[in-house]
Amino acid sequence: MKRTFDTGNAAITEGAIRAGCSLFAGYPITPATEIAENMSRRLPQVGGYYLQAEDENAALHICNGGAIGGLKAMTATSGPGFILFADAFGWAVSSEVPVVIVNSQRVGPVSGITGAPGQGEFYLSRYLTHGGNFETIVLAPSSVQEAFRLTVRAFYLAERFRTPVIVLADQMVTDGWETLELPESEAEFTAMGLEVVPRRIHPGPEFYPASDAIDIPPVVLGHNTGAACSDWTPTDRGHDTEDVTWQHKHAWRLIHKIRNHRELIDEAEEWFLDDDPDVILVAYGTPSRVVQSAVRAARREGLRVGGIRLISLWPFQDRMFSRTATYLTVELNWDGQLVREVQRAAAAGSSVHFWGRCGELPSSGELLETVQKLLKNEPLERDGWRTEKW
Amino acid sequence: MSDLLEKYVRPEKNPGTACKGCGLRLAHRRVLEAIDELGLGQGDVVWGTGIGCSGRQTFVTWKGDTFAGTHGRVYAMATGLRLALPPEKRLILTVGDGDAFTIGFLHLLNAARRNVDMTVVVFDNLGYQSTGGQYGVTTPLGSRTDSSPYGAWEPNWTQGGFDVLRILKEAGATFLARHTVLQGHEPVESLKRAIRNPGFSLVQLIYPCVTHYGVQALGTRDPAAIYDWFRERTAGLIEGDPGDRFTTGILHDASGSRVEFSAAMRDFVASVQKGERHV
Repeated sequence: MKRTFDTGNAAITEGAIRAGCSLFAGYPITPATEIAENMSRRLPQVGGYYLQAEDENAALHICNGGAIGGLKAMTATSGPGFILFADAFGWAVSSEVPVVIVNSQRVGPVSGITGAPGQGEFYLSRYLTHGGNFETIVLAPSSVQEAFRLTVRAFYLAERFRTPVIVLADQMVTDGWETLELPESEAEFTAMGLEVVPRRIHPGPEFYPASDAIDIPPVVLGHNTGAACSDWTPTDRGHDTEDVTWQHKHAWRLIHKIRNHRELIDEAEEWFLDDDPDVILVAYGTPSRVVQSAVRAARREGLRVGGIRLISLWPFQDRMFSRTATYLTVELNWDGQLVREVQRAAAAGSSVHFWGRCGELPSSGELLETVQKLLKNEPLERDGWRTEKW
Repeated sequence: MSDLLEKYVRPEKNPGTACKGCGLRLAHRRVLEAIDELGLGQGDVVWGTGIGCSGRQTFVTWKGDTFAGTHGRVYAMATGLRLALPPEKRLILTVGDGDAFTIGFLHLLNAARRNVDMTVVVFDNLGYQSTGGQYGVTTPLGSRTDSSPYGAWEPNWTQGGFDVLRILKEAGATFLARHTVLQGHEPVESLKRAIRNPGFSLVQLIYPCVTHYGVQALGTRDPAAIYDWFRERTAGLIEGDPGDRFTTGILHDASGSRVEFSAAMRDFVASVQKGERHV
């Protein structure tokens, strides 16, 4: 094992390389630029291709093009670039193309604050294109080491599910420096729980089954299989149809190939949930690290407080919220995003609250104070914001 | 001609989606003729398509490997795909004038800059016809369309001293030609040269739309009358301002004069791997 001290950007790069990525197209944007820079240095060393696109829309389309030629491809960006993926992301979803997208969330909307962490794309990552009728896989690392692991995992899931997979990081994860352990052998790689699915080639002639089956090889052009790769509704007579029955079959597959195999995707970490705590803090990404500290501090004070860290965000893990409790989501936004989903998923009788801030992390003291107020049923007021029951 | 369709076109997609009397089928056939005359089989060509009349007529028609892209982005997709395909595979994209010259123009320019090996065939029906007839950047000035009921007046890229193909030449394209589909074998010869060029080629094939452009701008959907209007406007290469005529011919042939992008990429990567380049 190679032990280094490095950034999340470097960890994502090394994860992609070890997962077999051989094409990166991107457009410089703070705070994801270093991923592109690292890829420009590393990819040619392993025989891969790096290119700088004319914009993010082109970047993901270039990745899609490489992917349907048989390359494992990745792009990386931040908020203002992420929104430009809408067009290409939808195409990859509907055409069932495996590709990996990294978003290092900064403060929005639009340009916002470029070099500070935000979590404003929780819902955008779920619905990165128009039209609905699909499910999305989104993974959220909270450390440099996990950024490495989840990048490898994103490539793995993309291949198995034939779909784009999003790594939803934040500026602190990608810019932050931490210890990073990199496997140096196949055995070490496997021992870390990592797997790689090599790119396979669909032999045809039925490229888009109307079922929820996974592990179907992607459509790859250039092998004279009569491959037809298209976002248009597939039918037994080609792709061009306005028929609602065929469209339903297509949508059903895009949704349920993921939902019906969610046990392969779902991942979360729990802290002190065994004694049915009174208050449960919920977070993902960097804020979850403060949440973990706050939960420990609360326990030291004898308070019955637990924590949930979501590692896979979408499909949303409703099962994690089956306890009737007081939930408090901790997010890097002022508008409350994760809280809405927790409120929907929480067991009957629960109350769901929101603690938000943007551009900087909470302190564990602030969270502890909020928990104490919740336990005493006092109103949550902070910085002039009333964050009452959601 | 039916032999060509049988040879190259998926039977379920024949006869295609074009309106009766439309020149689009002829345009589609011109490309198949060029492929056939070059002796290429279905395994030699990967075919991509855009959106609109051209996309709908041609997409998933090719018996070999084929893809349908998003509107205006197939040039970016083809850039990535070219890196993955064996160099000998010909990559042909059939798109519309809106796809290439407006929504996708940024990507088209960058594909030309890189000299990515692809042949872009622009089926130009003088505007947005699949949406019912709105003006575009190749619509002749003064044309009445559903979105220019007083006559098109916004500057276009084919008149007033502008030529969209000259912009592409400056951007680095290595083969550029323009024809109407009514010019017999001429467009086929240009398409053959475009497909042979190991670099970025574009052939603009202007064809008559009877359903919308004919009715709205020319006041008729009689193919014979519309085809006559086309023939009257068609000219060869013209120095200076062509006025309202379609200047046709090979505007630029620098085939093989620039290094092709995917070849350059492979050479670059090999040089890094051999240790000939360092950071």
